[in-house]
Amino acid sequence: MATRDEIDNWIARCALGDRSAFKNLYDHTSAKLFGVTLRVLKDRGEAEDALQEAYVKIWKGSKRYASGGASPMTWLITIARNHAIDRLRVRKTTEGDDKIAEMPDAAPGPEARAVAASEAKRVEECFSTLEPDRATAVRRAYLEGDSYADLARHFDVPLNTMRTWLRRSLIKLRECLEP
Amino acid sequence: MSETELPDDDRAQAGEYVLGLMSMEDAAAFRARISREPGLAALVLAWQEDFAQLTDEVEAVPPPSRVWRHLERDLFGGATGPRWLLAGIPGLLAGALAVMLLFVPLPGDLVRPPADPVYHIDLASAEGTLIFAAGYDGETNELFVRPETDAPEEGTVRELWIIAGDNQPVSMGLLPDDEPARLAVDPDIARQLAGATLAISVEPPGGSPTGAPTGPVIATGPVETL
Repeated sequence: MATRDEIDNWIARCALGDRSAFKNLYDHTSAKLFGVTLRVLKDRGEAEDALQEAYVKIWKGSKRYASGGASPMTWLITIARNHAIDRLRVRKTTEGDDKIAEMPDAAPGPEARAVAASEAKRVEECFSTLEPDRATAVRRAYLEGDSYADLARHFDVPLNTMRTWLRRSLIKLRECLEP
Repeated sequence: MSETELPDDDRAQAGEYVLGLMSMEDAAAFRARISREPGLAALVLAWQEDFAQLTDEVEAVPPPSRVWRHLERDLFGGATGPRWLLAGIPGLLAGALAVMLLFVPLPGDLVRPPADPVYHIDLASAEGTLIFAAGYDGETNELFVRPETDAPEEGTVRELWIIAGDNQPVSMGLLPDDEPARLAVDPDIARQLAGATLAISVEPPGGSPTGAPTGPVIATGPVETL
């Protein structure tokens, strides 16, 4: 795995139109991002398309990526994940699921603070303070792109109950993450 | 609080927004708030960072090589290079991108790279070490320059030169020590950039006293048209 600084530098150089930096960025991050799009879309062909489109966004968006403290992997993961979810929602819409059709466009852009291995552990620990079902619900929303309707179906609870669960879980998580 | 009461809390809303759980209307309204409220933007960023940690458990899967081939063809396949993309990217995708990047905060004094560089130059030493990277912004007639190595020795500066064809080097100005900068480019010089070579020499403070490089040339690079 490339270091944070390397990834940061490659993105910055993409902004200058440097194709070899883009190739480096792709070579070192595409397996991770492919894992992310596969997890959401669960279809290799679609996940490949989503990955390709995500890197188009990354190349074009690199101009607006500023390295001022941003975590480059979060930036990349957010683009890939949101793009895969956009595709997932389009697919569900064309399958005629009205509930999902009203569901959100994917969340916006990235950026943030330093990431270290300890960050993942901290997040993991906070998730473990939630009831297992509720932790799973938040996880599914992020990793599988589940909507409220999907979650309500999955856990077999009314939509409003699902909303309440999830919002409370989010508040609890944030309190744990930033006491 | 009853079991169905919905907590109305920015922390929860920012989390829902990042997860993509809001309706389109709510997400749009929330986006408008984000652009006005830095505290809310910080919350969104915190959630994005924290949720991204969840991908630790996602197994990396090397994509088949055709993904890169398609990407390369789509992005760089045209004879005109990446500028083709300006027209080629569907409006929908551009719109999504604009939304996605709407509130990446930037330090106020950040010198931005060109949005659409016309030329790119890697200025490297004879050993191949990159010393400066540069991109020419055709809209502002400025050369964006980014130092890639340490600041020069005390009491020296680095000066940038353009060598067009068989002409003598012409100064394009002094380079910053350790921060990116934008150098204004004289229109006469801008016209000579295509196909030219840029070079960096070490000079006394204030730059070359003679109008030609006087110190060692530490880096050169061809101007690549994008």
